[in-house]
Parts: sequence; structure tokens; C-alpha cells
Amino acid sequence: MSTRDLFTFSNRHFTVGVGITAAILVVTAIAGFVVLPFAQPWVQFANVWDAICSAAGVPQRAASVTAPEQTKRLSEVVLTSRTLSRPSQEAIGRGATLAQRCAICHGPTGISRADSPNLAGQYAAVIYKELHDFRSGARTNAVMSPFAVNLTDQEIADLSNYYAYLPRLPAYHPTPLLPKPNIVIYGAPMRGIAPCGACHGSLDNKTGSPWLEGQSEVYLKAQLQAFASGERRNDISQQMRNIGRAMTPQEIEAAAAYYASQPPDVVKAVD
Amino acid sequence: MSAEQTHSSAEVAARVERRWGTIAVIIVVMMALLAAFAGIHRATMPQPRVETTDPSRLHLSGEFVESNLGSVLEANGNVTVRAIGQQYSFTPACIVVPVDTPITLRATSADVVHGILIQGTNVNTMLVPGYISEQLMRFTKAGDYLMPCQEFCSFGHEGMWGKVKVIDKTEFADRAKSSGRLSCVGQ
Amino acid sequence: MLVNRKLILAHFWLAFGVFGIALTLGAWQMFIRSPIGTWLSNPELYYRSLTAHGTVMGYVFPTLVAMGFGYAISESALEQRLVGVRWAWAGFWLIVAGSVMAVIPIALGRASVLYTFYPPLIGNVFYYLGVVLVVVGSWVWVALMSVNLRVWRKAHPGAPVPLAMFANVAGSYLWAWTAVGAALELLLQIIPVAAGLKATIDAGLARIFFSWTLHAIVYFWLMPTYIAYYTIVPRAIGGRVYSDSMARISFILFLVVAMPIGMHHTFADPQVGAGFKFIHSAFTALVALPTLLTVFTICASVEIAARLRGGRGMFGWTRALPWDNPMMLALAFSFVMLGFGGAGGLINMSYQLDASIHNTQWITGHFHLIFGGAIVIMYFVIAYDLWPHLTGRELIDIRLIRTQLWLWFIGMIVTTFPWHWVGILGMPRRMAYFDFADPAIAPQALSVTLSAIGGFILLASGIMFIVILARGMRAPQVDAGPYRFAIAVHQPATVPVALNTHALWVALMIALTLTNYGYPILNLALSEGTSVPAVYVGAQ
Repeated sequence: MSTRDLFTFSNRHFTVGVGITAAILVVTAIAGFVVLPFAQPWVQFANVWDAICSAAGVPQRAASVTAPEQTKRLSEVVLTSRTLSRPSQEAIGRGATLAQRCAICHGPTGISRADSPNLAGQYAAVIYKELHDFRSGARTNAVMSPFAVNLTDQEIADLSNYYAYLPRLPAYHPTPLLPKPNIVIYGAPMRGIAPCGACHGSLDNKTGSPWLEGQSEVYLKAQLQAFASGERRNDISQQMRNIGRAMTPQEIEAAAAYYASQPPDVVKAVD
Repeated sequence: MSAEQTHSSAEVAARVERRWGTIAVIIVVMMALLAAFAGIHRATMPQPRVETTDPSRLHLSGEFVESNLGSVLEANGNVTVRAIGQQYSFTPACIVVPVDTPITLRATSADVVHGILIQGTNVNTMLVPGYISEQLMRFTKAGDYLMPCQEFCSFGHEGMWGKVKVIDKTEFADRAKSSGRLSCVGQ
Repeated sequence: MLVNRKLILAHFWLAFGVFGIALTLGAWQMFIRSPIGTWLSNPELYYRSLTAHGTVMGYVFPTLVAMGFGYAISESALEQRLVGVRWAWAGFWLIVAGSVMAVIPIALGRASVLYTFYPPLIGNVFYYLGVVLVVVGSWVWVALMSVNLRVWRKAHPGAPVPLAMFANVAGSYLWAWTAVGAALELLLQIIPVAAGLKATIDAGLARIFFSWTLHAIVYFWLMPTYIAYYTIVPRAIGGRVYSDSMARISFILFLVVAMPIGMHHTFADPQVGAGFKFIHSAFTALVALPTLLTVFTICASVEIAARLRGGRGMFGWTRALPWDNPMMLALAFSFVMLGFGGAGGLINMSYQLDASIHNTQWITGHFHLIFGGAIVIMYFVIAYDLWPHLTGRELIDIRLIRTQLWLWFIGMIVTTFPWHWVGILGMPRRMAYFDFADPAIAPQALSVTLSAIGGFILLASGIMFIVILARGMRAPQVDAGPYRFAIAVHQPATVPVALNTHALWVALMIALTLTNYGYPILNLALSEGTSVPAVYVGAQ
């Protein structure tokens, strides 16, 4: 027999090889697509075709479900790694003009002299998200909310880009450097707390999570407590409430004091 | 060794070989049948359908909005649990379910690939963003179970541990009377 | 006849050099996440190390061993100078370049996505490009193996291809096709996103592509080991191969059924239909067949050796085996580990049993036992066996070699058995640290500690291995003679075309890939709205 006869039915190896393979395929396909789907009494299929399509994995949109009414307003921001496009110089310039109204609390250089957050060099996605949430009412603050209500989408984007563009400066109220508490370094795995830096910048940045170094201790503590109590709930799908609730009051204090004592330059530069 | 002897020893060798080959095939077929049988009788089968969803808009509409996450007692007495995985927690972080009740877990991911594994059970499913995972489960023992994320989901993966609390049926029914979804978060 | 010894040595040295580095990282990982280590203040270091360990051990090390061994087989089994030596060197340097390109972003912490990639997590683009270069370099080898066989066939029309070369080429074809899955994932999905050309990726589809590669790659790793079982061990211990045609059938079965079974890695995935999960599960059962056949043939071949040495009785012949021969020792260890690992594999292949151990430490224990144990221990003896022929120098310290093999075996058992156990207890994979102080997981602490100790035994054995090879470069010169392979009891004068060529089986392999993967891939590739936003890691 020559190589030419390899793929002919007169070649026993060909017939046996292809035959057995095809037979196994057919038997397993019938079992997997027809027999097994209908062998599950807890699943209903409209007909054989439905069973076959389901077993083959044809994607279906999830059926609509009526969820209980949401009593409190939640964040409606959609955040991805590409939410904000690269800023133009004009956008930053427009943001700078708008930011003059913010300076009274957040400082002319983006560094607050009160206990408001420092914004200089903050991730753009963070400012973008919080401004949207203040505007929609998902996050409220007696001073901040009125400022945000009248902002347009464009203005929010410009402000975000402007503050992200500002250099990261030392905090206004410097405190002596504190050692890193365990809750910040390691989190608490069995309570479901990852190291803070996994989202907040020093290890990696989860889009929408701020870097925290040099923020006011009072502010940080108040926010953690608000997350823990559920008073603040603009974190999408409870991502920060899950953490805040699992932290002890001592850990909240330690984390707030530690971050407040840190200079901002320990954070890697954006982009 | 004569040519004839060679021939017959080759035949013996081939016969022994065929016998072993047959045994091997039988072993393999038995294993496949066992798997099919176990699938039908122990009711552990892969989810029947592939369903898709948009992970970045889960919180806006659909079944994974915040108010719908948690456990709900259905009209037929079964329980449905809806949960999401995200960097780096499950919501609800503590799932509460009744003992000895058929439970459907529906879950998905809001960002990257995660996994749900309930220790001490065979509840184990991937959460792939864009797709909805569905798994049937039933707990025979009340108590606390750990629910770690079983897939690398970036640098905070080691801190992603949830909990499952399996409670008495009547206690669950009592708590289910109030509207809303149940969880054991903060308890 | 081994002419291009430098080429082969270059492959082996690079392989074992990177193996040494990755082994050290592995031992450190076992230690640092165990109760005897201290928690890392930067968990990213663990994932960085894990990425390096997996990338080297999964893509670079076994590929280089298969390539070096393949060139050696081609020259010595075909008794023909390697055709395309320049291409072979080009392939080698591509792998060097790819490895360096991949390792730099890993070392900088810019690609800590693990060797399994896990999109939508996206790391630095050069990591992925480096992996692609490694694969391209290995494809050069695939082409050369095919070309060399073709040249030989022209000179020997109709003659049976030596078993070692037949298996070697089967392995190379398996690799060429296997790598296509990950290549498609990288080129069509990940690299465009990593390079910033796209911002979304279908994570589910990526997992299907990867499963195409992820299982059959194990059989590619296995090929040199099986070639050693059939064509080196019987010769080294003074026996014969029980059956030449059974050996060919085993390799053919690997070629055909190693590929269309990868979705048993996605049993717990929501994007794969239940029907395809069942088909892949059934085909996974089939892949046990060539291994069962191999176990039979090799045991019979070993028995022949024992009886030729005067062994008697139903089982008494085992005493007559040359147990002081490293090859014999390694084979026995390899079979024990293959036995346990294979039994574990049967658990992974069934959907129901897999559910309780999927993505737990069981899985890591399983593939370390199979790959690190059964497969790599044969890589060691392949190197020992070839070394005098490559260097022209004798490996004198047989006692040290035996100690090294014993340590590897013991180390692997001590590492992987507790590893399986904590998997059954539900310990998840790939975590930088665990809070063993918590009563809920405290019972796992002892097992994890044992595994870590096993890791250090393995490290010691690995260092000994490299020392033995290095000392072999300076040992007294010796004429090792031509490198030979085992012959069969009934050495065939002619072999049916189907068992002497690969075309039919390669065609079946591709056909089964189309039936078992075609629809699931197209289904998701053509669906709207299954792509999700990329999440860039370490990109600040």
C-alpha cells in the first residue's frame, strides 16, 4: 500500500480510525446534547431544538427579573479602564477655570487646608465618579452637593482631568510618619479584607478607587465609618462597604492615621 | 530460533496485547458511563444554559442590582441566591441560606475572572465577566462555611474570602417574611 | 551519530538553567505562603514569582528539552546529519530572545497575570510578545523535524521509520497544533488590548482558546518521557521493547485524542455549553487509553529485561532488575508518580468529582505530581543518558545520580501528597498568604508546611542535578560510541503505511478539533456583547 491509498476506505487503518472516532463523537454528542439535557427533571426545555441549543452554549440574555425597589439612591456611574479619554490641554485649561470655585475647600493647588480631600494628582476616574455621584445624590454632603448639582458631564470630565494633571504636593497638615499597620499591609484575609494597596494605588489601582496618602485623618476616618455603617453607599455593589463593615474601630483609626501621615510621593505617578 | 517459533511467539505477544487492550478499553468505557450515571443520579450537572450580561452595568439594571443581591425564598419553597464577585469581595459578603432546601445560586463577576468555592461542599463555579454562572446546591448541615475566591483576580486575591451561613429552615422562613433580600452581612 | 552536539547542549543547558531559576522561585513560593514563612508585605511579589515560575516551567523549559532531545533523536535514530542547522540555531535564539522579552516585564512587576494570562486582566504587551516568540522558535523545530523525516524517507523509501523518530515527530505535530489555541488568544485577543488598540476582550472566549492549549500541552511535555520509556529504558536495562506497533499506536492515540479534550478545564465555566463539556469529558477518558497501553508495554519490556538477566517467578523477576541503574530507578519512580497522578487525573476528568476540587490546591498538586514528578524525572535521566554522547565525557558519579533521583522522588511525594489533601479540604489556589491562625483553616497548616519542606527537598535535588551535569563537562574523556535506541522483540521489517506516517492521524486531530472546538469558538466569537472592559494590572 502506498501513501496515496492512506485516505481510502480500502485502508483498514483509515476505516477503523475514522470509524471509531466518528462513532464516539456521535454517541457522546447524542448523550451530551439530547439525552443528558432531558435527564435533568429540574430543567425545562421547550423542545429538542431548545435543548440542543442550550447544550451547545448559544448565549442567551438573562431573563428580566423584578428586583425590589431601591430605597436609597445608588451610584449610576459606569467605570471602565477607558472611561476617560486622554485629556487635551484645552480640557485641562477649562478644568482649571472651573476649579476656582473648588479652591476655597480643596485649596488653590488642590491641597486642602481644612479636612476636605486633597485632589491634586488624584486619579481622574475618582474625581469623575464622585462628582457624578454628588450630582445624582448617590453621595451627599451639605457643602459639596450644591456645587455638584449644576455641573455638566463635560465640566465633570474637565475637572477630573485638571485635578489629575496637578502635581502631587505634600499635605497641608504634616504629621510624623507612622509605621504601616497590619490592616493596611496585609488586610485581614479571613474577614475578606484585601491589602488597602491592592486597590488604592500602592500595589495597584482598581478603577475608581482613590490613592489616599496625605488625606486628612478626620476625613478618612469619617468615610470609613460611613461605609461601615452604610451611611455612605455610592461604592458600586458595596465594594467598599464590604471592607468597612469588616474592619474594627481600631483598624479604622489606624488606617486613617497611617494614610494621613504619608507623603504623596510614595504613590507611583499616573501614566 | 526458527522462523516458525518467531512467528508463534509474535502471535502470543499480540494476543496478550490485545487482551490488555480490551481491558483498557473496558476501563475507559466504564469511567465514561460512571460519569454519565453520576451526573443524572446525583444531580450535579453543568449549568444548562449560557447566559450573558454586561459586567460594567450590573449595578444599573437587571437581576444583579444591589437591592436584588442576596437570598430570596421563592413561591415553591426553593431559594435563589444572587451574588456578584468583584475585586476583592463578594456581595453579599456573607450569604445566608436554609438547610435541606434546593438552592439556585446565580452569580457573575463585575470585573475580572473570579471563582466561588464553598469549602466542604462541591459548590464550585467560575465567575467569568460577561457570563452568568448558575449552580444548584443543597446543604445538609447547618453551620458556617468559608467561601474563598478560587481564581487569581489580581493582587488582592488573597484577601477575597466570603462566608456562607446555613441556618434552620423556619428561622430562614421567618426572616424571609420581611421584603427584600436576605444576607448575613454584619452579623 | 550525534554531529550537532553544541546545538543540543545549548538547548539542554538553557532548559536546565531556566529550570533551576524557576525551581528556586517555586520553592520560595511554597515556603512564603506556608505557616513557616512570614506574610509578604507586598503580595504582588508572590504573583510575580508565580508568573515567572509558570511561564518558564510551562513554556520555556519543556519546550527546550523536547527540542534538544528531538534534534538528538533525529540525528541518532535516523543516522543522518541534521538538515537545517542554521534554522535550528535561529529557533534557539528566537526562544532566548522571547524568554528575555517576557521575563523583563515580569521582573518589573508589569505582567503579574500568571502564565495562564487570565484576561480581562492585561499585563505589559512585551510579556505576551515574548511568549509568542518562544512559540514561534519552537515551531521552527517542528518544521525541521518534519523536513528531516522527509529527507530520510526519500533515502529509505518504504522503510519503517525508527520508533523514536516516529514518536518525536508525532510530538512535534501535537505541539504545533496545540500551541495554536494560545496563539489565537494572544494574537487575536490579548495583544491588541495590551497594545492599546482595543479596550474590550471576551474573557470567556479567551478561556476556551486557552483550554485548547492547556491540556494537550501536557502531552507535549509528556512526549520526551514516553519516548524514553519506549526507546531508551529497555536498551539501558538490557531489555527489548515488547511491541513496536503498540508503541506506535500509543503515540498515535496521543496525537488524536490529546487535543479535543481541553474543555475539561472549563467544567466550572459559565460560557461553555453542557453538551460540549460532556463530549470533552468522554474524550478525556479516552486519553487514559494510550497511557494504559504504555504501562502494559513498558512493564512487559522490563520483564523481558529481568528474565534475560535470569529473573524467575510470577513477580520474583522484579528482583533481577538492575535497580542500581539510574534509568531503572527513574522509570520506577516515574511509574509510581504517573500512577497516583493518573488516578487524580481520572477524578479531574469527571464533572461531578471535579466540582469538589476544581481550582483548589488539589489541581496544583496533581499537575506537579504528573509534570514535575513523572515527566521531569525522566528528563533528568534522558540528560544523564545523553550527556556522555554530547560531551564525550563520562558521568562518573552514579551514586550521586541515584541520590538525586531518590531525592526528587521523595521531594515530589512529600510536596504533592499533602498538596492534594488541602485541595480536598477546599484550599483555594494562587493566594499569596493564608491566615492559618484562623480555626477554620488551621487544620491545613501542617499539610502546607510539609509541602514547603518537600519543596526544599526538590530544590536540593535540582541543584544536585545541575552540579552533576556541570561536573560531567569536565570529567575524563570517554568514547561513548553511537547513541542507540531500544529495539523491539519482533523488530518489524515493514510497517503499515498508517503506522509509519502521521498524515491520517494529524488529519483526525484537526478534524476532532474542529468538531469539539469549532462551534464553541465561533459561537462566542460571533456573539455580540460578550466582550468586557480590560483591566490593566500594575499599569499606573
